[in-house]
Amino acid sequence: MALNGLRAIQLNSMANIGNAAGTAPDSTEFLMTQVQQGDMSAYQELIRRYQKKVYRVISSYHRDPADAMEVLQDTFLKVYTSRSTWERRTSFAAWLYRIAINASIDRYRRRSKGRTSSLDQVPESQVQRSPHLARPRSPIEGLRQEERRRVLENAIRRLPERQREILSLRYFGEMQLEEIAQALGCPLGTVKSNLHKAVAGLKALLLDQKELLSYD
Amino acid sequence: MTDCEDVRESLVLYAEGELSAEQSRSIQEHSAWCVSCRQEAAGIRQIRSWLLDPDLFLPQDYGWEILPSSLAARAKGRRHRWVPSNFSSLAWAASVAACVLLGLIFLQTVQDRSSLPGPSTTSLSPEDIQSLLRPIRSAHAREATARYLNECQDLLLNLVGAEKNCEGDRHDLSLEVERARELLRRKRMLDTELRAPEVARARELCDELENLLVSLSAAQKCESSGEIRLMERSIEKQQILLRINLLRAELS
Repeated sequence: MALNGLRAIQLNSMANIGNAAGTAPDSTEFLMTQVQQGDMSAYQELIRRYQKKVYRVISSYHRDPADAMEVLQDTFLKVYTSRSTWERRTSFAAWLYRIAINASIDRYRRRSKGRTSSLDQVPESQVQRSPHLARPRSPIEGLRQEERRRVLENAIRRLPERQREILSLRYFGEMQLEEIAQALGCPLGTVKSNLHKAVAGLKALLLDQKELLSYD
Repeated sequence: MTDCEDVRESLVLYAEGELSAEQSRSIQEHSAWCVSCRQEAAGIRQIRSWLLDPDLFLPQDYGWEILPSSLAARAKGRRHRWVPSNFSSLAWAASVAACVLLGLIFLQTVQDRSSLPGPSTTSLSPEDIQSLLRPIRSAHAREATARYLNECQDLLLNLVGAEKNCEGDRHDLSLEVERARELLRRKRMLDTELRAPEVARARELCDELENLLVSLSAAQKCESSGEIRLMERSIEKQQILLRINLLRAELS
């Protein structure tokens, strides 16, 4: 409680500074300018806001939760060490996800060197379910819930890289389509058409599993 | 925009709210009378609702609360580099020389001490050593058993969802069969840990799991849906998943 109170005071004081500087006080862009000045509480607040979203985006690249967690940590450390390279006129989310995606691809390539050549070829047997994964409330309900997620996650990983990237940024990173275009450095039309292809592709991949997924 | 193909091309963006008011109205009008486009739209909405599941790709009970502070501490550590960038080569050489000198002094001291009579670890009795080792063994047994149960549970969940990749719409169990064989080998190694009183309650379940694993490891790599259903029923009947969950909670 005391820590939360302290955090609130810190954020309030930052908000006042933000107002004075003409930046939305609760915006991530404002927090990032604070981080650029070495403010560690602003850095922690940024992590708090983005950690789960970034983790989910990264997970669409890595089957092993331990890998995803390492990439997540590398991403936020990179945010800190490269903080001076972020420019205020660009979206923080776009910059952050670009770092996360690059880190995911780098790690994947390093891990797969001499083993497999594509993400889709990672054998199912290498999948280690995290002990942290949410456990079912009852065995049967749990089976359905776990199974649906497993099937959906596998289907997402089977999408072509660009489609998977755009889909995960939209739904897990909760980014606007314009931000995605900025993050990936491609036209908005490309984002729209790839998003359509990704969702339609998932629908086709999951079509024969209606029963399993309780299609209604 | 009344052509079905055009409408379907726009359904994802419609669901995303990315179309203009006019385009959206056109889709609504078309869908009012076109059953197949309406079904297509329902499918898209279903996929979107699954994608919006907040638990998808997310470990729930990871220490999310502590991650910001631990990363901040690590980032801070990186900021204060151990060796400043303007550290001169002369200072480097002096540091290395000092380290070598200290190392030599340390070695000399150790040698001197070893030549003197003094207390040694042999003064501990075997009972003392056993009592020191007991909590370590106990923790190891609990951890190894919990990990084994976790992996068995994952295998059983995968078994239920085995894909129909074989000829004649049969389920491809090749990975599950391999995994079952591996877990059987693990069970043999786990038997020592299972003797520990702390995990006594897990012994019976592990034995039942072993029976299931033996059946699974002997299964065909392509099995019919009927066979899979039989295995599912057996898992349900013995309440294996529920019991694994309860035991894991107890061991953690």
